[in-house]
Amino acid sequence: MIVPMAKVRILGPRAQLSVTLRVIQDFGLVQVAEAPPVPGLTPLELDQRDRRRRRHLQRLVEDASTSLEALSIRPAIAPAGAGPDPEVAQLARWARLARQVRRETTRLAAQELALAEERALIQRYRTLLDVLAPDLRELAQSPHVVTHAAVIPASERPTVEALVRSLEGQGGQGVLVRAHTLENRDLVLLIVIPSSISATMERVLAEARVPEVSLPAQFRAASLTQAVPLMLERLARIPEEQDSVRRERQALGREHGRELLRALAAAHDLLSQLDAFEHCAATAHAFALEGWTPKANTRHLVSTLKRDAGAQIAVEEVAEEDWIGEQVPVVLSNPRFFRPFEGLVRLMPLPRYGTIDPTPFVAVFFPVLFGLMLADIGYGLVLGALGLLVHRRTKPGSAGRTIAEMIGPCAVMSILSGVLFGELFGDLGRRAFGLHPILFDRQEAVVASLLLAIGLGFVHITLGLILGVVSAWRREPRHAIGRGVATVMVLLIVLALLAAVDVLPASLLSPSVVALLIAFPILIAMEGVAGAVEFLSTLGNMLSYARVMALGLASVMLAVVANRMSGITGSAVVGVLLALLFHLVNFGIGVFGPGIHALRLHYVEFFGKFYSPGGAPYQPFAHWRAPSVARSR
Amino acid sequence: MENWWVPISAAVAMIVCALATAWAQSRIGAAGAAALAEKPELANTVIILVAIPETMTILGFVVAMLLILGTG
Repeated sequence: MIVPMAKVRILGPRAQLSVTLRVIQDFGLVQVAEAPPVPGLTPLELDQRDRRRRRHLQRLVEDASTSLEALSIRPAIAPAGAGPDPEVAQLARWARLARQVRRETTRLAAQELALAEERALIQRYRTLLDVLAPDLRELAQSPHVVTHAAVIPASERPTVEALVRSLEGQGGQGVLVRAHTLENRDLVLLIVIPSSISATMERVLAEARVPEVSLPAQFRAASLTQAVPLMLERLARIPEEQDSVRRERQALGREHGRELLRALAAAHDLLSQLDAFEHCAATAHAFALEGWTPKANTRHLVSTLKRDAGAQIAVEEVAEEDWIGEQVPVVLSNPRFFRPFEGLVRLMPLPRYGTIDPTPFVAVFFPVLFGLMLADIGYGLVLGALGLLVHRRTKPGSAGRTIAEMIGPCAVMSILSGVLFGELFGDLGRRAFGLHPILFDRQEAVVASLLLAIGLGFVHITLGLILGVVSAWRREPRHAIGRGVATVMVLLIVLALLAAVDVLPASLLSPSVVALLIAFPILIAMEGVAGAVEFLSTLGNMLSYARVMALGLASVMLAVVANRMSGITGSAVVGVLLALLFHLVNFGIGVFGPGIHALRLHYVEFFGKFYSPGGAPYQPFAHWRAPSVARSR
Repeated sequence: MENWWVPISAAVAMIVCALATAWAQSRIGAAGAAALAEKPELANTVIILVAIPETMTILGFVVAMLLILGTG
């Protein structure tokens, strides 16, 4: 449900404003509204000193957040909220610390990046270095030679082999060529030339366009004989340097992490106070401020303000007629069993205040639709086990925990539907354990399955239409009557159809059709042509629930095929493994598909009948909490 | 073979609907991918949007099944 809200107006002596704001922040349940437009009251503005203070605090928040992110410190605990505001000197100290840590982390990040790039660069030469290193070690003792290395692509080998033979022909002049073939068939040539003829031979190599290896810039000044050992040595040392940078960063986090968190929380709190101040209005001697709070907290707010901010502070509740058209913040509150499904509602924009929170309906119908599609005892048990595993490994309030809590009812409904249709890993339960369907066999009774799906759609859509009538009645009674007529027409059509196929007495057919003919012009009169179009689309929406049958049938047929797999190979072990693999694939599809389609049936078909998006999220003026902590509450 | 048109009709119902869905999903998918590049938080909405045209295939499947079952 959407929590009833109250708009409160707080009045008091101007000198008490900052204390009052502090008490409201400690209370943590009032969302400050725009300054009240009361004659004689002037909206408050920050003076130059406070504007400068805000700039400093914003810089502190930016520096501290960037530093904490770079130090991989996620605020996992709620910083101590209530307490005196930090002194100016303390804030200045925090600002200096945050700036200094940010500089340090930036330096370390740059150092880490440079090392990673250097390592990747040398690593590209790794194969070449390993091939050349033994030869170059031998040549290290020969000071009067010049060495060149070239990598010849496999496709150019025939052209270059002639050159190699020609170079080897210069053997009499002391030219030595060593060739190594790499795994990819490229050829590595090591050409050793006596210093005395190096100029001539280098010209020959250049004219023959031999692709000489170009070393990284930092090693280019050295000869190949010197550079290769240097590169290998550097490659061995870089991981140590990377470890050292990591250790330095961890030490920085240990030393300053907690302090930065405190600084971040304090800066956020002070910034919130400045924001709240700008939402107040005042005369020379008094201030006024308005805000939203859950109605149930109003009395507690009054007593807290009287106790902590002084007896002169007056709190009054603004009459609902005065704020009914305003953008009221929306708080969803549901029983524990329904709460995880709020996550599915929150994927859409929040419902407007005064409309209906669909969470309880989603919590009931989502597992039912999902279960009817997956409908298998075996798959349900596996899903339940997965849900339990995720539940055990996640923290309360995390996305994983919410998903695990939704998986539970879905798995239960899959098992129950599996019992109804007699399915355990497809037809395995029937063949191995003599399991029989209680309702009908989905493989055979396709029409019955289709009718069940569309029948469920009828119930779901009719519920949506009724909720639409209730929701519209409060604001637009005429529109609500139009929706009511559409709902009645849907019921009449179903009545007529059931009478036509002899499920209901045939005598109901004529009255139903006559009532439909009367209702149709009323619908046009109330809602216009759009109403008629919407009515027809409602019938289409019901047919859309046929997907429950289609996906269910696909799931059961794939499971049956998986079971057949075990018999098609000669080996029983291979057959069972193949069947398990196929069941795994089917399970994956069977969880993803029904999940998406059950959601779609809610968002498009069900919500379309009553849901009014556009609610503003509730953002109370409170002490800062890390996003992860705020989510878990 | 007097009912030869039944499987052909069922196949046509399925093929046309599946092609229409594929075309719609390709357009929605491309637009969705572009939207995700700018706003990754829209992932859930985009998945739902991509699933919307599947109604056509499902209805095609239902029609195909009814054609086959209706003629025994």
